[in-house]
Amino acid sequence: MNGKVTEIKRFAVHDGDGIRTTVFLKGCPLKCVWCHNPEGIPFASQLAYYENKCISCGECIDACLNNAHGMVENSHVFDRELCKACGKCEEVCLGEALKFYGKDMSVDELLPALLEDKEFYDNSGGGVTLSGGECLMQSRFCEELLKKLKENGINTAVDTCGFVKREALDAVMPYTDIFLYDVKAFDEDVHIKCTGVSNKIILENLKYIDSCGKKIEVRIPYVPEFNSDQIEKIAELLSQLKNLTKVRVLAYHNYAGSKYASLEMKNTLPERLPKKEELENAERILREKNISVI
Amino acid sequence: MKIYTMPENDRNYLENKYHKTSEPFNSFNRMAYHGYEYDSSTGLDDEGIREGLEKLVNSLCGEPRPIIKAKAIEYVLENTRIDVNEHDYFVGIYSWNRLIGKYTVAKWRDETYAKARAEAKSTKNLDYGKTGTAWIGLDFDHTVPDWDSLISLGFVGIMKRADDSYERLKSDGNISEKQEAFYRSIKIEYEALLRFIDRLYRYSLTKDFGKAGKISACLKNLKEGAPQNTLDLLQMIYIYFMVSESVDHYQVRSLGYGLDAAIYPFFVRDIENGTFTREELTDFIAYFIMQFSAIGSYWGQPVYLAGTNPDGTSKVNEVTHLILDVYDSLGIYNPKLQIKVNPNTPKDFLLKALDMVRSGSNSMVFVSEDTALKALMRNGATYEEALDSVIKGCYEYTTKANCIGISFNTFNALKPIALVFNNGKDKETGIQVGIETGDVANFKDFKEFYEAYLSQFDDIIKNSLYCLDYMEKYIHEINPSSFYSATIPACMESMTDALDCGIKNVSDVLVNGFASAVDALMAVYELVYEKKVTTLAELKDALENNWVGYEKLRLKALGCKHKFGVGDKMADSYANALHHFFSSHFVGRKNCHGGNYEYELHSARAFIDQGKKTEATPDGRRDFEDTSKNVSPTTGMDKNGITALISSATSIDLSVSDSGACLDAMLHPSSVQGEDGLEVLYSVLNTYILKGGAAIHFNVFDANTLRDAQAHPEKYKNLQVRVCGWNVLWNNMAKEEQDMYILRAENII
Repeated sequence: MNGKVTEIKRFAVHDGDGIRTTVFLKGCPLKCVWCHNPEGIPFASQLAYYENKCISCGECIDACLNNAHGMVENSHVFDRELCKACGKCEEVCLGEALKFYGKDMSVDELLPALLEDKEFYDNSGGGVTLSGGECLMQSRFCEELLKKLKENGINTAVDTCGFVKREALDAVMPYTDIFLYDVKAFDEDVHIKCTGVSNKIILENLKYIDSCGKKIEVRIPYVPEFNSDQIEKIAELLSQLKNLTKVRVLAYHNYAGSKYASLEMKNTLPERLPKKEELENAERILREKNISVI
Repeated sequence: MKIYTMPENDRNYLENKYHKTSEPFNSFNRMAYHGYEYDSSTGLDDEGIREGLEKLVNSLCGEPRPIIKAKAIEYVLENTRIDVNEHDYFVGIYSWNRLIGKYTVAKWRDETYAKARAEAKSTKNLDYGKTGTAWIGLDFDHTVPDWDSLISLGFVGIMKRADDSYERLKSDGNISEKQEAFYRSIKIEYEALLRFIDRLYRYSLTKDFGKAGKISACLKNLKEGAPQNTLDLLQMIYIYFMVSESVDHYQVRSLGYGLDAAIYPFFVRDIENGTFTREELTDFIAYFIMQFSAIGSYWGQPVYLAGTNPDGTSKVNEVTHLILDVYDSLGIYNPKLQIKVNPNTPKDFLLKALDMVRSGSNSMVFVSEDTALKALMRNGATYEEALDSVIKGCYEYTTKANCIGISFNTFNALKPIALVFNNGKDKETGIQVGIETGDVANFKDFKEFYEAYLSQFDDIIKNSLYCLDYMEKYIHEINPSSFYSATIPACMESMTDALDCGIKNVSDVLVNGFASAVDALMAVYELVYEKKVTTLAELKDALENNWVGYEKLRLKALGCKHKFGVGDKMADSYANALHHFFSSHFVGRKNCHGGNYEYELHSARAFIDQGKKTEATPDGRRDFEDTSKNVSPTTGMDKNGITALISSATSIDLSVSDSGACLDAMLHPSSVQGEDGLEVLYSVLNTYILKGGAAIHFNVFDANTLRDAQAHPEKYKNLQVRVCGWNVLWNNMAKEEQDMYILRAENII
């Protein structure tokens, strides 16, 4: 069985404990306005074209079977309509201007790369994290991969938005050491405004995972004027969890603008960045509920 | 942790003690400067000393060289201006600029080299030097005296031990003229040293400022015997250092057998006896290490800390912590700290050191004790000797008081690839520096190319070592090491100069451009034979033209997947093969003094200087750009992050490298921030050590900061980067050198 992989990141130090390798899988049911991994949203493979890096070497023209790349007045042009996102042009691009997201990979193909850093995982309390997009949209693949990782003694984390079917959670539960769980809003209307979907299932799934006795690390993206008024309610909700290990408040950043442009996706990134005091205040509110914040 | 503040006046004095901070300073040539003028009634200025030395040396014509040199040292110590200052606990020696060299060592070196060349009937080593192929040279820059002898005996006891040994040999009727001269030279030097200390002592009695009493008491102790307390100890180390390095011609590469281990027993006793308070002791340590910051040598004064006792416990003690805290508080980058690490090194100590590293105080290298242990024991050291190893340079380890490096030779691993393309000829000078391996365009497969590379390298090594034999043969005639040898028990036992085989005479062999060579070989394989995007004939043309007209091909070379440092199995296998090729030439081989060649993957400054003489190479490198350094990747090529880099570096057995190999790791600040980040840094270090790493140092930067620092130097006066075995201030680097750091920082994950 194949999974659709956006990217593999070694030395990931913000996706769970210790030094980890994170596998980003493609496809997400949410459309968060602040999304910094827009390449993870569509399930289909995509080609990103970073125009500023292109040196118009023309190598992509020969590699492309669909005439998506061309040259006009010695300058490279890319027609996304013709692109079938096969990824062949990325391999020959000399300026590293083309980036292919969405390689089909089997568990056996993926596993050796994930075992490369086992000694680093072991020495740092790290392991492998599955992330996205929403990795559990490919839950069967995740199940198979996580099972293999556990057979190899690897600590596993699943980074999820929680907007998934209960069966998907059940499939990965036995092979998952910790869930990295996003809580973006408590109020349903706020959640819909921020992500396009209701958070009813998300909050139910959070309680379900907790009831299964699995460790949960909650991550709250802090986006001023979108979900910044939700912290107290989220804190109240989290204080009721039995298996919450810690909470990370993730400061919203707008570094992903060039990614949207490279994928010709509509840039929805909010302008306003959080202030240091706002983040400290959010963390204080959580700590007041005896929640461990890092 | 900022635990210490030095009074501003004192700090200002110390910063200007050796050269004026307000004036331009070239750290390569640090001895060309003076800080402030000394009291002229205390002695002669440089000109006066030079005149006297010239007359003296002329009058000694026909005397054995050790005697001439000893009398020259004596003359400087008797006549130099001195100082005891209210802003310092350490004395001042005005003539710290190796004035004796012109009349002794430099003259004898030229004569001896000419003799060696005539006997060898070869000047091949000069061609290698001119073309950046290899540097062959004698070494007087990596000495570590026997600190145990110095500390337990003091200068007085060192001389008495020499006397006793001389008397014993004489009464046995076993003393040659050479030994007689050697002993006399020691006697002259150490008597002069004690008279010099007495002169300082008497001068200190004329001073009535606050520190004068402590300084007088300390000098009195040193002129009478062994150091009695912490200040005596540090003053003695400092005086030995100044005389050996700045009057004599031997650089001193460690201050104590572990500065922390040396100080600790005195420190504890001083507090127990009430000799000094903790505050006073902290002051002494701070003023001591500030000397080396102020001296400001380019390569940085090495000081190692920590280590393991024979019973397996760590040597880390409260003084180790204190030294780190004081160093951090002073905000300096010289001396450079070398931290011995093994899996039992206390975590809190390493976290403190790593916290400093990530905060920019990164003049620190971590050296694996386990790898040193393996390497030294393979060379015949016992377990105890290997465990108690000293660090004699940037990273190189050796055993205590029983061997000395006599030559420091650097082979450029990349150059032979350029020579294969040019049929042995250097592109820039036209010198036929290598052998004729044929027209590369006619090579039928990669094996033929690879074998041609090995043949070129083999020839370079063979010729170099041939020339080196003749140079090493006469080393003791160039720079008699009486002052150093007197500290070494074995030299005193046999009354023989260390460089005349009084102890093991080893030859250090550095291999520079290691990753560049692997990448260049792999580029030939990948571009010509695997992907078939070019031919050797076309590649040869591209290199001849410095890639002009071949930019696409150059980018393909830069983009090759088989690179060292990304965890690529094939590149790592070739790295291993080269490593074993080098080690098979050097390891176990004996030099003309019967000592070992000690091979290490270490570049010193050769990655810049040999790079400047190396033409374009197939890895995409242009004419005269830097090569890779140490066991580190080619700049910008460690694209898979630090775990992949460490996997590549430790895929080769670094313990085969006799005296070290260092990995330069660059990390992005965001990956090591916060408590978690510190744990990550600790895990990276620990895993490197557990995987068989040798030495490692870290630069924690992001490209934006470096770019900003390049644009606005005034905002980054304290920004320092680790160049190789030493740090420099960012603002003191050439733009091209800064660009290399920015390029690498851009690629880190």
